[in-house]
Amino acid sequence: MFETLKEILVSKLKVSPEQVTPEATKEDVELDSLAVVELSLVLEKELGVEISDDELLDAETIGDMARLIEERSARV
Amino acid sequence: MTAGPPPGRAAVIVGVGSYVPPDLVTNGDLVTRLDTSDEWIRSRTGIATRHMVAPGTATSDLAVEAGRRALKSADDSQVDAVVLATTTPDHPCPATAPAVAARLGLGGVAAFDVSAVCTGFLYGLATASGLIAAGVAERVLLIAADAFTTIIDPGDRTTAVIFADGAGAVVLRAGEADEPGAVGPIVLGSDGDNAELITVPGGGSRHRSARQEPKPGDEYFQMAGRATYRHAVERMTEASRQAVGTAGWELSQLDRFAAHQANARILQAVADRLEIPAERRLSNIERVGNTGAASIPLLLAQAAERGELRPGHRVLLTAFGGGLAWGATTITWPDLGH
Repeated sequence: MFETLKEILVSKLKVSPEQVTPEATKEDVELDSLAVVELSLVLEKELGVEISDDELLDAETIGDMARLIEERSARV
Repeated sequence: MTAGPPPGRAAVIVGVGSYVPPDLVTNGDLVTRLDTSDEWIRSRTGIATRHMVAPGTATSDLAVEAGRRALKSADDSQVDAVVLATTTPDHPCPATAPAVAARLGLGGVAAFDVSAVCTGFLYGLATASGLIAAGVAERVLLIAADAFTTIIDPGDRTTAVIFADGAGAVVLRAGEADEPGAVGPIVLGSDGDNAELITVPGGGSRHRSARQEPKPGDEYFQMAGRATYRHAVERMTEASRQAVGTAGWELSQLDRFAAHQANARILQAVADRLEIPAERRLSNIERVGNTGAASIPLLLAQAAERGELRPGHRVLLTAFGGGLAWGATTITWPDLGH
């Protein structure tokens, strides 16, 4: 799931690929609050996974976000 | 609403004008009193400067100037109706449009306000088109004006950096649906279940009838930024697809995308979803900020003046704002002799 999330961050949110590591924080990849909303919309459209921007903002790192997406898609 | 007008009763744009008050506020000016930075404002909103009314200047003052310029552009000083779209009327009662009509020397004509916040111009276009289609008016002056900074908490960094003052206007006359300048099919929608996302809580009958002390800040505009982004992107994208489809156009045929200048990030997200190339996106948000209802006609007038919007261009208009309310329509830009 980390690779899928990385692909979305790079292609849809214009994050540079070398910045995206599991340990990177939202600040490290310059993902501000509006970008997190955009990510939530893209996840819903591309993966059919509903995760609110509040939940994504609670995730500390990109790795945490990937785990959240994985858990949520397993439940669908 | 998708039905076309009866023959000879489409609303056709024959004049356009705009006005912004002279006082310019830069990001540097705001940074001195708000906990923010030029970089933060630019990256979140795309705004560098905005205009603000001087003390004592009201919405009608902006509306009169934009209206005068639109009438001049139409080479015609007579209309049968004045419709004013505004979020910030001069007074809670009466409507502001009659005073604007009188000051423009149009006294006696039908005049009223339309309240649809940032979608006011599109709701106003539908209203003006309806007056013309029904035969109530042959010519309508539609003005959209907001002294938006008058409802903004100067200490709220999430709204004070975005909202600004300005006015735009068009003159519409009865004509044919297939001529340049004819307003295309108009898509409108609303979602009152989410009214609290964009609101000035106080000052209306809800609070006045309760006869309680208002909460601090209730007199000011409040916006839930992240939820607004989500709804704005989804609603404008959907309304745009509907309007373009109903007009019988393809998105790829659009020459210009003229969206309510809400926030550069929202505009980019909508235009990306519609796959509109960057060079076809009109924008003045960097210079004028978010001017509420005035945003679209101010953008059209300035783009036409700068030569970025030219006769024959197929233009998509779309807006989203408080209500929630949203809309979209299409226009083939007319030759207004600029």
